[in-house]
Amino acid sequence: MRAGALLFSAALGFVILGGCARKSAPAKFDPLQNAYDTEPDWNDAQRIISLNYEEAQGKQIFYKQCVWCHADQTPAGPSNRSNVIPAPPLWNDGATLNSLSDAFLEKFTAQGGRAMGKSAMMPPYGQTLTPEEIRAVVAYARAIAVPAPKALSRPGQK
Amino acid sequence: MNQRNVQGLVGWVRRVFFGDPARRFAWVSLLLTLSLAVAPTKDFFRQWRHYQRQYSKFIEGRPDARALRGRAVSGIHQIWLPDLSVLDRCTTCHLGIAEPTLAAASVPQLFRAHPPIPHDAEKWGCVVCHRGQGPATEVAEAHETTVAWEQPILPIHFIQASCGTCHRDNLPQTPQLDQGRQLLARFDCTGCHKIAGIDRPAMLGPDLTDIGTKVSREWLYKWLKEPRTITDANGNVTVNGVDFGEPEMPTFRLSDLELRELSAYLSTRNAHPIQRYHFDPRIVARLSKRPGVADQGEARFRQMFCSSCHSLAVTRAGETSLIGGDIGPELTKIGSKVNPNWLAAWLRNPQEYLPHSQMPRYEWSDADLYEVTRYMETELTDPDLLADVPKLGSPTKTEIEAGRRLFVDKGCASCHVTEGLSPQEDFGPDLSTLGARNISQLDFGTAKIPRTLIAYTQAKISNPLSVNPAGRMPQYHLDPGSLDAVTTALLSLTGPPATRGMEKLIVVRQKPEFHPAGEFGKLYERYKCYACHKFNGFGGTLAPDLSYEGSRATRQWLLQFMENPQTLRPTLVLRMPQFNMPERDAAVFADYFETAMQSPAVDATLDRKEFTPAMAATGKQLYEKKYQCQACHTIGSAGGYVGPSLGNAGNWLTPGWIEAWLRNPQALVPGTLEPRQAFTADEIQALTAYLLTLKQSGPTRDAAPSARGAK
Repeated sequence: MRAGALLFSAALGFVILGGCARKSAPAKFDPLQNAYDTEPDWNDAQRIISLNYEEAQGKQIFYKQCVWCHADQTPAGPSNRSNVIPAPPLWNDGATLNSLSDAFLEKFTAQGGRAMGKSAMMPPYGQTLTPEEIRAVVAYARAIAVPAPKALSRPGQK
Repeated sequence: MNQRNVQGLVGWVRRVFFGDPARRFAWVSLLLTLSLAVAPTKDFFRQWRHYQRQYSKFIEGRPDARALRGRAVSGIHQIWLPDLSVLDRCTTCHLGIAEPTLAAASVPQLFRAHPPIPHDAEKWGCVVCHRGQGPATEVAEAHETTVAWEQPILPIHFIQASCGTCHRDNLPQTPQLDQGRQLLARFDCTGCHKIAGIDRPAMLGPDLTDIGTKVSREWLYKWLKEPRTITDANGNVTVNGVDFGEPEMPTFRLSDLELRELSAYLSTRNAHPIQRYHFDPRIVARLSKRPGVADQGEARFRQMFCSSCHSLAVTRAGETSLIGGDIGPELTKIGSKVNPNWLAAWLRNPQEYLPHSQMPRYEWSDADLYEVTRYMETELTDPDLLADVPKLGSPTKTEIEAGRRLFVDKGCASCHVTEGLSPQEDFGPDLSTLGARNISQLDFGTAKIPRTLIAYTQAKISNPLSVNPAGRMPQYHLDPGSLDAVTTALLSLTGPPATRGMEKLIVVRQKPEFHPAGEFGKLYERYKCYACHKFNGFGGTLAPDLSYEGSRATRQWLLQFMENPQTLRPTLVLRMPQFNMPERDAAVFADYFETAMQSPAVDATLDRKEFTPAMAATGKQLYEKKYQCQACHTIGSAGGYVGPSLGNAGNWLTPGWIEAWLRNPQALVPGTLEPRQAFTADEIQALTAYLLTLKQSGPTRDAAPSARGAK
């Protein structure tokens, strides 16, 4: 009889404890700690943009291949942008690039300006960069775009 | 409630529930059933079930709900990688990891698809990269440090550390890890610590056997106290990391007495007195009368492109920045540092003082050497450099002896060689397993920092006193980016592979070496070509890869270039130094390049005569109109400067090289900037013909700076 009561209370205890299992929230990180790489906004150095893996790879390729003509400042100092006619869009120029689809930008990069009926000064990269690399460069453009693109079609965009 | 009432209640309960055996049996049965229900009930409330129910709710109503539901697992899902000893249950809750339709940022992170990475997340699981506890099924245990399970999730910012656990080779995808590994080597961490994958080089810090012939005791005192001597406009020591010429020497916390003793010991290290160089007295007499000797020296310093390896601090508009390369030390205050006799001897033959030095041995005329040394002694100075050093006087025997002991005790001998003291290995703790260290294994002392391995590592580097006031670790002043990079590289050190299976997965680091023999080998060592150029995969990255230079450049051009290096890229700040190379040396280089540095992809037999003016005319049209090569290349003054100037391509390049390059630049120089175009064979021929017609008359010997001197 006493055993029964004990059992009863024990069972009740288990049920209660089980039901109220500690629910701790997942660890919260600083958003920048949670980024594979970062890039300051080109127009506002105070705003740091976090990049995911693909965008970070795009950044790497951009700073090697594209920065010379698609940015006003390059690792070597002066930009070649002023020597290219018509001037190529800055890679963060959302106003120009946002309206162009990923597929279009990827095709343009791969086939070059001439094949797309635009300036031949943009060479084709389809035989130099892999499709993944070209996709990454476009993903990077979307990540740093000012204004930010409205339709978020890419993974992990903030 | 009083006692009577309680007794009444107990009596009532006895009567109703346990009045007769049947009742007793019924109630015990009920209790038994209930207790049997405990386990399933508890199971029902498990965290992962909660998240699986949330997932079902989340995908409900989505257009692709049916497909998602079909693929969603119920119950514990695990990925087992026996080769890595990894058991991974993360996908029990993170159900959308491989669902491409759940990639949008609007999807809660818990269910969001993994962004694209080179590894298949479904195959490799999560903990191989993210760390944390794979077998855990509770949120806290999987992600954080708990009493039983200590390894927390690695913040994504440091995730490249996990890449480095298997990929010991450098990867283009992990710039932060690679930078960190380079910094570990650059700051000679291997002097005191054992670090997997980074060998102890032959020379860490400079050999101090003869340091007494180079610098004064006062300078040593100052340097040992504070090695960062570049100050900003306010006189503050700038703490801006390696980008600002952070010396590789860290700050040791030495007392005045210790500084006196160590400087006494070091200033008496002069086993091999320098041979004072005697300038031709006539030249000295002539030059010293002339005003502006130092200015002449400065001009020569610039012409020789010393700044390609050495930087100088320049203050513009109140902001101090270092201009120049970082292969050699910055020289802003060199005149207040070194003994003038030592300087002249060093410039003439650096290897005589320091056999491992990367500094090339230049050919000097007396006039040049006199002017440049005068410039360095009088202009690159700081009268206040030693202002705060107390009067030291001559070192006493006791001081020298105490300094010698300190040299060993403080760990100086771990990086620096002096005669009679051999370098100490394993002075500091082995770091080969630092990345796998548990929090309970770390001594945080009284430091007020988060209890994480990352915070601990960073405190140890940038403020070691905070963690261990009695420790011997010196202080490094790294900028935040460099500190994170070093931390990433250290976190990647998780020790030897857990299982034999993992050994197969580890990609070892390649260490190519190229040490040619013969005449060329001697000159290659003398001019230290490999400090900037790559040869067969070995060497620096500052200047072009010369592995196929014999296929690329014509002999005539090579001879001219080495005698008077001119840049092919007008925007470059760092250029090939003026070695004042004798013709004989240039010929040795040209001979070697011609015979040994050839690319199999280049047709060396291609003759210029095969290319007609008609082809060249077509080529010009292709260059200017169809492909608009002027976007990146200049001819004359017009064009872009991404690629080299082609104005002298006809003299510079061989026909075979141009042709092979146009077919596929990447095949000749992997990773080169120029993309491969889809030229037809005829177009390649026409473009080659056109480029071969582009010729500039080379600089005459009179105009060349090297024509001066040697008198």
